[in-house]
Order: sequence, then C-alpha cells, then structure tokens
Amino acid sequence: MPDPHKLSPVERIKTASDGLRGTLKESLTDDITGAIKEDDQSVIKFHGMYQQDDRDRRQERSEKKLEWLYSFMIRLRLPGGFITAEQWKGLHHIAGEHSTGVIKITTRQTIQLHGIIKSDIKPTLKSFDTFHLDSIAACGDVNRNVTCSAHPKQSKVHEEVFAYADQISTMALPRTRAFYEIWLDKEPLTNKEEEKDPLYENRYLPRKFKIAIAIPPNNDVDVLSNDCGLIAIIENDKLIGFNITAGGGLGTTHGNSSTYPRLGTMLGFCEAGEKTLKVVYEIITVQRDFGNRSDRKLSRLKYTIDNMGIEAFKKEVESRCGFAFETPRPYAFTERKDYFGWNVNHEGKWYYTVFVESGRITDNENGSLKTALYEIALTGKANFRFTCNQNIIVSDIQDRDRDEISGLLEKHGVIATTSGSSAMRKNSIACVAFNTCPLALAEAQRYLPTLITKIEPLLARHELSDDEISIRMTGCPNGCGRPTLAEIGLIGTAYGKYNLHLGGDRNGLRLNVKYKENLEEADILRELDVLLGSYSKEREIGESFGDYTSRKKIVQHV
Amino acid sequence: MIPETTYNTLQELIKTSTMEEIIWINGYLNGLVSGAVHAKLPDATGNGHLKINGSLVNGNGHLPNGNALPVAVKKMTIAYGTETGNSKKLALQFSASAKKEKLSVKCVALEQYRLEDLDREDHFFLIISTHGEGEPPETAKKFIQHIEGYRGRLDKVQFSVLALGDSSYPLYCKTGEDVDQRLFDLGAKRVVPLVKCDVDFEEAAAGWYRAIASHVSNAGNVNNVGNPEVLGQALANPAVSGQVVGSSQESLAIAAVPKKSGKKNYEGRITKTINLNDRGSLKETYHIEIVTDEALDYEPGDSIAIIPSNNEDLVNHIINKAGADANEVITSGKYTGTVKELLLNKLNICHLLTSTVKKYADLSGYQFAEKRMDLVDLLRLYPLKNNVVFVQVLGILNPIAPRLYSVSSAVTAGDHEVHITVSRHKFQTEDEEKFGLCSSFLGDLPVNSKVIFYIHRNRSFKLPSSEKDIIMVGPGTGIAPFRSFLVERDLKGDLGRNWLFFGEQHFQSDFLYQTEIQQYLQTGVLHKVSLAFSRDQQEKIYVQHRMLEQGDELYKWLTNGAVFYVAGTKDPMSIDVEKTLLRIIAKHGQKTEEEAIAFLDQMKKEERYHKDVY
Ligand code: SRM
Ligand SMILES: Cc1cc2nc3c(=O)[nH]c(=O)nc-3n(C[C@H](O)[C@H](O)[C@H](O)COP(=O)(O)OP(=O)(O)OC[C@H]3O[C@@H](n4cnc5c(N)ncnc54)[C@H](O)[C@@H]3O)c2cc1C
Ligand SMILES: Cc1cc2nc3c(=O)[nH]c(=O)nc-3n(C[C@H](O)[C@H](O)[C@H](O)COP(=O)(O)O)c2cc1C
Ligand code: SF4
Repeated sequence: MPDPHKLSPVERIKTASDGLRGTLKESLTDDITGAIKEDDQSVIKFHGMYQQDDRDRRQERSEKKLEWLYSFMIRLRLPGGFITAEQWKGLHHIAGEHSTGVIKITTRQTIQLHGIIKSDIKPTLKSFDTFHLDSIAACGDVNRNVTCSAHPKQSKVHEEVFAYADQISTMALPRTRAFYEIWLDKEPLTNKEEEKDPLYENRYLPRKFKIAIAIPPNNDVDVLSNDCGLIAIIENDKLIGFNITAGGGLGTTHGNSSTYPRLGTMLGFCEAGEKTLKVVYEIITVQRDFGNRSDRKLSRLKYTIDNMGIEAFKKEVESRCGFAFETPRPYAFTERKDYFGWNVNHEGKWYYTVFVESGRITDNENGSLKTALYEIALTGKANFRFTCNQNIIVSDIQDRDRDEISGLLEKHGVIATTSGSSAMRKNSIACVAFNTCPLALAEAQRYLPTLITKIEPLLARHELSDDEISIRMTGCPNGCGRPTLAEIGLIGTAYGKYNLHLGGDRNGLRLNVKYKENLEEADILRELDVLLGSYSKEREIGESFGDYTSRKKIVQHV
Repeated sequence: MIPETTYNTLQELIKTSTMEEIIWINGYLNGLVSGAVHAKLPDATGNGHLKINGSLVNGNGHLPNGNALPVAVKKMTIAYGTETGNSKKLALQFSASAKKEKLSVKCVALEQYRLEDLDREDHFFLIISTHGEGEPPETAKKFIQHIEGYRGRLDKVQFSVLALGDSSYPLYCKTGEDVDQRLFDLGAKRVVPLVKCDVDFEEAAAGWYRAIASHVSNAGNVNNVGNPEVLGQALANPAVSGQVVGSSQESLAIAAVPKKSGKKNYEGRITKTINLNDRGSLKETYHIEIVTDEALDYEPGDSIAIIPSNNEDLVNHIINKAGADANEVITSGKYTGTVKELLLNKLNICHLLTSTVKKYADLSGYQFAEKRMDLVDLLRLYPLKNNVVFVQVLGILNPIAPRLYSVSSAVTAGDHEVHITVSRHKFQTEDEEKFGLCSSFLGDLPVNSKVIFYIHRNRSFKLPSSEKDIIMVGPGTGIAPFRSFLVERDLKGDLGRNWLFFGEQHFQSDFLYQTEIQQYLQTGVLHKVSLAFSRDQQEKIYVQHRMLEQGDELYKWLTNGAVFYVAGTKDPMSIDVEKTLLRIIAKHGQKTEEEAIAFLDQMKKEERYHKDVY
C-alpha cells in the first residue's frame, strides 16, 4: 500500500503544471516523436484528450524500428449530450479530416474521435471551436461530462432539467485559460489572478468526478454509478428539486480486493435552483479536501465516503452548504432504456432514436449511418442527442419535416438496422477496449457484436428473442460500459477471456456478482445456454433474467 | 660520380647563393651542356649517375635537362579527377614520392585546375576514375568539357593518363580512355601509355608512376619520349601485372590484369531483411543485415557493391521464346557457363546500352533507332532471322553492373557483419511503372540467401577527428552512412557534436530508423535532429527548408569548424542542399555570392564538405 502521506506522482504534475499548461507547447513542437512528454500525458487529459497508440500495430512497428503508432483521442464536453445540426456538420468533417473517421458515442453521452496525430490536434480543436465545441475537462481529475436523461418525451420539464447539466458543467469547469492558449493560440493572460480557481485550487481533484441527472422513471443515465447523482423530482409537471446521491463508481482492479464497485448512497432531497448547485459544488469540495491523494486506485469519492462514514460525509457537505438535506422524495425507476424508433413529445416534436451498435457511427455493411446523419444535418431540420447507451436521437423535428427525415433514415438503412436488431443487441453496451484503449485486457466493441450473433440462436431456442436482457462487455474491470450494472456482465481478464457476472437488475439499481471466471467463448455460450434455458422455464411472470438469477441464488449478493 | 670535395664545393656555392643566383647558374650550366656556352665539360663516363643531395638522377651520360639541381626547371603536374577519393589518394602519394625524388611537382584537383595553364604544361599526368555509366567524376566534368571543346593544340605538352575503374562495369575505365584519346588528338605527346586499373589498383598504379617518374627524370633526353624500352623497363617491375596490349605508340595501353588476389569478393548470408516503411507508405526501404565468415574490412562511409541476378521468370521466358537450350555451355566475354546461368547471373539483359543495341541491330540485320531497351523487347520487336543464333546475341551482352549501397553499420575490428539500407527503386517508363533490378533483387531475397559483394571504399566520405562537429544531411536512404557514422562516433566516444537532417514523405510511415535516432538523441550522441516530412502538410517541405530555418545555427557550426556531409539522391536533393548551403553562408556570413562560393571552396579544400550522392 502506498504511504498515505506520500502524494501520488500525478499530484505533483498537477500542482506543477502552471494551470494545466505543463510543457505541452514544447511537446507539440517536438517532431522527433508522435508522443508527448510523460508528464504532459497526464496534463493533456484535463484538456479532454488521451495519448494512445494502435495496440494492434505495436510489435510490427517495433520491428520496423518505428515508434508505436501514437495518436490522440479527443472527447468532447457535451453536457446532456446535445448538439445542433450545424455542429454535426462540423463534427462530420472534422472526423473525416483528422481522425479515423468513426464518430464514437460514449457511455456518457458524448463523442470521441480516435487516431488524431499530434500535429492535427490543434487544427482539430480550432475547427471544433468554430462550432462552439470544446473538450475542456472531458477527462482528467475534474468533473467530467455531466449526463442527463436523454429522452425529451419523458416530461414537460425536460428542458428545465436538461439546463442543469449545462449549469453544473459550467460551474465545475476549471478556471485556467490554458486550453485557449495552447490549442487555440489565444493571448496568454496578463493577470494570472483571473484564473485563480477556488474550486480546484492548483491541485484539482484526487480523481475523476462524475455527475448524472436522471428523470424517473427512466434510469437511462445509470445515475447510481456516478460520484454524484441527481434524481429529478417532478410534481404536477413542475421540477421541485432533486434527490441527491453520492459515492457511485464501478471500477475495480483485478486482484486488488480493496477496490469494489459501489452504487451511490441517497443523501436526501434538495430544492431546485441555487441550493442544488451549492450541494453539488460542496460535494466536490469535500472530495477535493478529503479524497485520497496517495493511491489513485482508492481515490474516488466512493472510497472517501466509506472512509469517512456516510453520516460524517453528509454532515461535512451540509455544514459547507449551510443547510441540510431534506428527506428524499419518493420516486421510482421502472426502466433504463432508449425508446428506439419514432416518438413525439408534449409539444408535438418528433424524435427518432437510432440504435448504434457500440456507439460507432460509421458507414458499413449494415448501412450508411454516418452519411444519413450528415444528410439530415444538411437539411438543418433536426438536432442530435446522444444517450448513455451509446445511441443517438435525431430530435426536435417538426411534424412537417418528419417524412423527409424518415426518408433519409430509410434510404441509408438506418431504420432497417434499428428495427431489425434483436432485443438483446439493442440492450447491449461494449466499451472501446482494443485497439486504442491502453488498459484493455480483452476485446469489447470489436467482439461483442459477433458474440451476440452467437447468443441469438440460443435466445431463439429458449423463446427469449424479444426479452430485453441487458448484456454489457468491457475489456477490463474499469467498467466503462458499466458491466456490473447489467444482467449479463462480461468483464475481460485476458485476451479472449472474460468473467461472467450475473444477478444485476434491469434498471441499474442492483450490482451484479461474479459467477464464473476466465471464460472463453465456448464456455460463455455453454453457460448462457443452460442459464437461459432454465430462466425461460422457471421465471415468474414479468421476471427479468437478472432478477431470476438473483432470486435463484445462482450468484450470492453480499 | 664527382669527388666529395667537388660536391662539397657545389653545396657551399648553393648555400651561399640567392635563389636568383641559383637560377642564373642553372641557366648557365644548361647552356653549357647544350653547347651554347663554351666551357670545359666534365667527362661523361658511361652510365654514371649524378648524385645530388642524396637523390639519384639517371644521367645516361648527360645531365638531365634542368632537373639536376635543387630547383627543377621542367615541371610536372599530377592532376586528379575523383569521386570517391581513390584517384586523389594516388595523386597525393605520387606527388610525395616525386618530391622525395626532387622532382618539381604540382598536385592539383581537376576542379581546381586553371584550364588556361594546360597548353603551357611540360608534363601533365592525369589520374582519373570512371563513374555512373561510364561517366567522368562530377569534379572532372568542367575539365573534360574544356578539352572537348578546345580549339588550340597541345603540341608542347607531354602527358600520360592513369585510369581508375572497375572491370565489373561494362564501360571499364571509359573516362580515362576518352581523356587519353582526346589529349593525344590535340597533339599532346603520350609519354607513357594509358594504364587502366581495376579496383585493386595499387600495384598497377605504382608501375605507372615509376614510368612517369623515370620519364621526367630523363626528360632532357628527347629520345626517351615514349621510348617503349624505357617504359618496358619501368613497367616490367614484377609487382605490376601490367600487360602491354598494343605496341604502336598511339595504342600502347597497359591493362592491369586482375591478379590472383584480385578484388576481394566476400560471400555473405542475409540474416535479416526488414521493410522499414510502415503500411500505407509509397516507399519500400529495406534494412538488410549480412553476415560473413570472413572478417570484413570497411569503414563508415564506404559502400558495398553487389551484382544482382536477373529475374528468373524473365530469363526463362527469354530462353523459351528464343528456343534456346538452357543447359548449353557457352562463353560470353570472360564468362563461361550454361545459357541459363549466364543469363541469370552474369549478363545484363535490362536497359541495354545503345552500343549493345547497335550490335544487336548489326547482328540481326534490322534497321531501327538505336535506343536503350530491354533484351526481351529487342527479341520481341526484332526477332532473330537469317540463321543468327541466340548464343551470338549472348556474345554481345555486357556483364551485369554492380550496384553500390552505402554501409549503414559500423564495424569494429574483427566484425563479420554489414548492414545496408536499400530503397526499392521505382521508375516510370513510357508505358509502365518498373522496379530497379538490384534494389528489387535485394528486397526480395529471402533470409539466409547468399550474396556476393565487395567493398567500395569512399576515401572522401570519412569521419573527421574526434573533436570535430559534423552536420549530416541524409534524407531517404541518405541516412545509411550516417547510421554508420553515429554507431562509430558513439562507440569511440567522439567529442564533436552531431547534427542530423533527415527527410522522407511521411512521419508516420517513413521515418527510417526512428527509434534508433530517438535513442541517440536521448543518450546525447545526437545533439540536434531536424526533420522534413514532405507530404505531411500542404506545401512540400524538404531538408533544405529545414536547413534554411536553422541557417543561423548552421552557419555558426560551420564557422566553428563543423564538417558538412550530404548523402542520398544526387538530383535534385544534393544540388538543392548545396544551393541552400551557399544561401546560408551568404546570408548569415554577410557575404556576396562569390564570397560564399569561395567559403565553400575553402571548406572543400579543408575536407569539410563531403558528398555521397547517387
Ligand atoms: C469511451 C468510454 C467507454 C465507451 O465505450 O463509451 C470510456 C473509455 C475509457 N475509459 Fe472509462 N470510459 C467511459 C465511461 C466510463 C464509465 C461509465 C460511466 O461513467 O458511466 C466508467 C465506470 C464508472 C466509474 O467511473 O466508476 C468508467 C471507468 C473508467 C476507469 C475506472 C475508474 C475508477 O475510478 O475505477 C478508468 C481507468 C482510470 O480512470 O484509471 C477508465 C478509463 C478509460 C480510458 C480513458 C482508458 C485510459 O484511462 O487510458 C478509456 C478510453 C478508451 C478509448 O480508447 O476510447 N474508465 N469509464 C466512456 C467515456 C465516457 C465519457 O464520455 O466520459
Ligand atoms: C556511392 C553510392 C551509394 C549508394 N548508396 C545507396 C544506398 O545506401 N541505398 C540505396 O538504396 N541506394 C544506394 N545507391 C544507389 C544504388 O546503387 C542503385 O543505383 C539503386 O539501388 C538503383 O539500382 P537498381 O538496380 O534497383 O535500378 P536499375 O535497374 O539499375 O535502374 C536504374 C535506372 O535505370 C533506368 N532503367 C533501368 N531499367 C530500365 C528500363 N527497363 N527501361 C527504362 N529505364 C530503365 C531507369 O532510369 C532507372 O531509374 C548508391 C549509389 C552510389 C553510387
Ligand atoms: C557509382 C559508380 C559507378 C561506377 N561506374 C564505373 C564504370 O562505368 N566504369 C568503370 O570502369 N568503373 C566504374 N566505377 C568504379 C570506379 O571508377 C572505381 O571505384 C574507382 O576506383 C573510383 O575512383 P575514385 O575514388 O577516384 O573516384 C564506378 C564506381 C561507382 C561508385
Ligand atoms: S473498460 Fe477497460 S478496456 Fe474498456 S474502455 Fe474502459 S478502460 Fe478500456
């Protein structure tokens, strides 16, 4: 265990970074390598980017006496996952020009572009800037992209709730102007006082920090997996406030028993407006001041809370706020899903939710989704919203434009894919993993689609083809695809091997538990065949697969 | 032959005289000998030697005309035209010997030679090599143009040419032959016949030197000019395996017959071939490692010469079309073997020289424009007729020429390994894109294949002493010799700073030896690396652009004594680099164009500007 008084190396990098500038400018002009300096690799995350390399190519490049194929992944900051048609056009071209071309929707409602080489970072960010898009704090030890229920049909107050995502995101942005100086060539500040940061000081947070806003009854954002969760309380079509949770987080490390997934704990109700913002702000400051800064494996808020005790933590937040939480208001999550296909909201505007397998927007043999979205953007008659299930909603369409948009979706095979995919496929999530994720132990998004193709016949045999069983796969136990909140969780342990987790519920309210370790494909299929068979025969009416495996004590919850 | 007392008196006289007085005395004695001045001459006693200052002068009963005294009057010039330093090395070596023998000698590089001096030369001796496809060395081009266009006569000039070459090339010692002929045609007297020497030139060259030295020593004796007997004596030294192949004065030429030791061929085995370019690149550059049983003796800056084999499918195709017997044993030139073996490994069938095409036209009885062509096309377009048989065609083919590849490894004594960096050469003909013969041959050779090669020394592309800074401009395969330089400087712990300019098309796919270069930079062996990737941005950026950007610094290095090297393609790269260097010198040294050129010339004189370009 690291010495609790000794700061982790990243802490030094942060405080020495001169407002997250580091030596990025030097790193960028160093043309001998496609990489940046090691310290800058930590700093650049705060600007929404990761240095990566194509892991498929490592060995071959080394033999050729070439360095690894370094490139950068850029993650946009898109609170609530909303972008306009105009912005989509920009995004489309930027992706084509500087990245692999695939626009990847993440599990936190934003998009990532991969494969951007060092010299293209600035042009990319400058182009984004012209469309009022940025990647500030999309990664790093700060508050990340704030997610929010994506489906406007949910409630009349959707827009009002949605606005909180933006406000919180802005409130918790680092004050430094480094992003503008380094990437957009803006003049450096003459008065550094202007960027003094009362929230982050010069140390930022001990670790990443995530906030989500859910509008019951849909838990599409998986609110309990966040460091801070806001559950909108709506009475008589009016937003009155939020039930606030804290301490969610899913990542674990294989073989490190001090790490564990944890669902957010309910703190209480807080009325809408300034008070909500204040509570969120102070939860962040408590984590800033109490979080573990020596061991990054144990520094998320979930561990801070468990160390302090929930009551002590709550007291600390309340005392910083100057007011107390009220008793949580009743709410119920009865679903966690995207409403695929056409839907209409209270104003009569239309929405089409597209199923995007693993969130990868591209043109392929299943249709030309990327072109379809671009052509829709060209009409200027729709906006776009991303969901936390890696899907996209073509949204805000006037009644008179619906046929035109529908025609474009039809023409490019989008509707066929969305309506033709199986229930399990549409309820699947896979993280990025290979070839870009440096932490991946096994494949995920490149593999889950074929695995599902092999599970589908089993489902058919057991007459479960329409059952919306949630299946999630990640390449490692960090949990980017929230696999511990799935009915079938597959967590990579080594290339081609996965732990099978069972017993989670369908709505993201109960963690699953490891059932079997290190399964290869054949084992997975064999296990699932048996489990699905008995589920099909023995389930109670309306009982989900997750609830069934839990009730049958196929796995033991602790 | 003179009594010691007389000799001492003479020495005393010389010591106490001024230069003008000695010249006067010299003239006086000269006149005396020729009978213009009447005085009593000493007795000529047989073939006694006049011993002056310890050096022997072949008297032949006469005092050599003007050469007998410390201040020689008849002068000799040894000029050299070199590309890779061999001719220069010989010229310097012979000049030093001549000086020791108290001959008055001026040694000069052809590019420095004052052309207007030519018709005033007494003895003009030229050492010149052949490069390219029978072309003169770059540095000799001006001189050759001059004599080719020369309108006057060179009747008073006595000359001889030593031609350096490599008998593996079809146009063996072509430049030497041409110059020899031209000087002769202009009326100059060929006092020693042309001597051609192969890559093991030392002994044949030494024989030539003895011949010219002996001629100059005897220069007073007009009868000795071109006297075959004298030549015979000088050249008959057993060390010279020279052969008199002609006997008339005009065509007397001595070919150095390869001796048993011959040029040193090594047999190596390819142990590794890596295409250094990544997927998606337009280039293919092979790093090839070759291991030998015998210890190798090369230095960074040298190249190895490889004779490729022809494409076997093509050879089979030709044999089939010609209806020839692949196994028939025949002789073509110096080779004897089966038809297949000669076509595959010995005879050039690609891009035949016009002279060969002409021979084919004569042989086959067709009339057509004689332009360079592949054998397969010749046979297709102008099929053999009138009983001309295919083996006759084989008789007109030249040997496959060797290709040079700069050594990219460094050798510490006793090493058995050499690396080369070969770029698959692509070129466009009228109707298709083609690949170069040798570069493809090498790139495609599987691991464990045998390769035969010999070492080509480049004496003018060598590392300077330890403390000197060096600037290396080596885009593309130009990196090869510098990889070798860096290993060597690293191993030796040289103190000078090292600055590398490298360029290619794309950073991601074409950065040859990237990880090695990064490591040298990290460990401080390389002090600066400037990179130009031409196609990573809209406008093309090449190494010369990077030089210009760094002009200030570069000029500082130069004024600080840095040695400048450029390697890789000749045209346009090395030309642009040179132009840019001149611009930098002019700009940062605040010099006029002429002053900049003079600065560069001075660098060349100080051996601080070197090229290994092709
Ligand atoms: C893109 C995304 C997965 C996807 O396929 O959609 C993703 C991708 C990565 N995650 Fe994640 N995470 C993503 C959502 C999540 C989630 C889910 C969520 O937040 O709802 C989790 C679990 C929740 C949580 O935070 O506990 C998650 C937990 C992690 C962890 C473990 C953190 C922990 O404290 O336990 C890491 C590793 C780390 O931070 O050291 C990580 C790290 C990474 C990195 C950046 C790998 C790295 O650190 O170098 C992955 C980049 C892969 C690539 O090549 O793109 N990612 N990551 C998601 C981007 C979300 C976003 O837009 O911000
Ligand atoms: C000192 C020195 C060092 C060198 N070092 C290196 C090195 O380190 N690395 C390296 O890669 N190279 C090096 N070279 C170049 C190398 O020697 C070869 O010239 C090169 O590899 C091309 O040879 P090739 O046999 O592949 O091409 P060739 O087949 O010899 O073709 C050469 C040219 O001949 C003409 N030609 C040939 N066939 C035809 C045809 N059928 N029709 C029309 N035209 C034709 C074309 O113009 C073509 O460009 C060096 C050269 C020298 C002199
Ligand atoms: C690229 C190249 C081409 C050559 N072409 C010929 C040639 O056509 N004929 C020939 O006789 N020798 C040829 N040679 C051999 C050289 O003349 C020989 O190596 C000579 O010793 C070089 O002398 P130098 O160092 O003074 O230039 C060639 C050498 C090189 C490097
Ligand atoms: S879960 Fe692991 S493998 Fe997948 S993206 Fe996250 S860190 Fe990478």
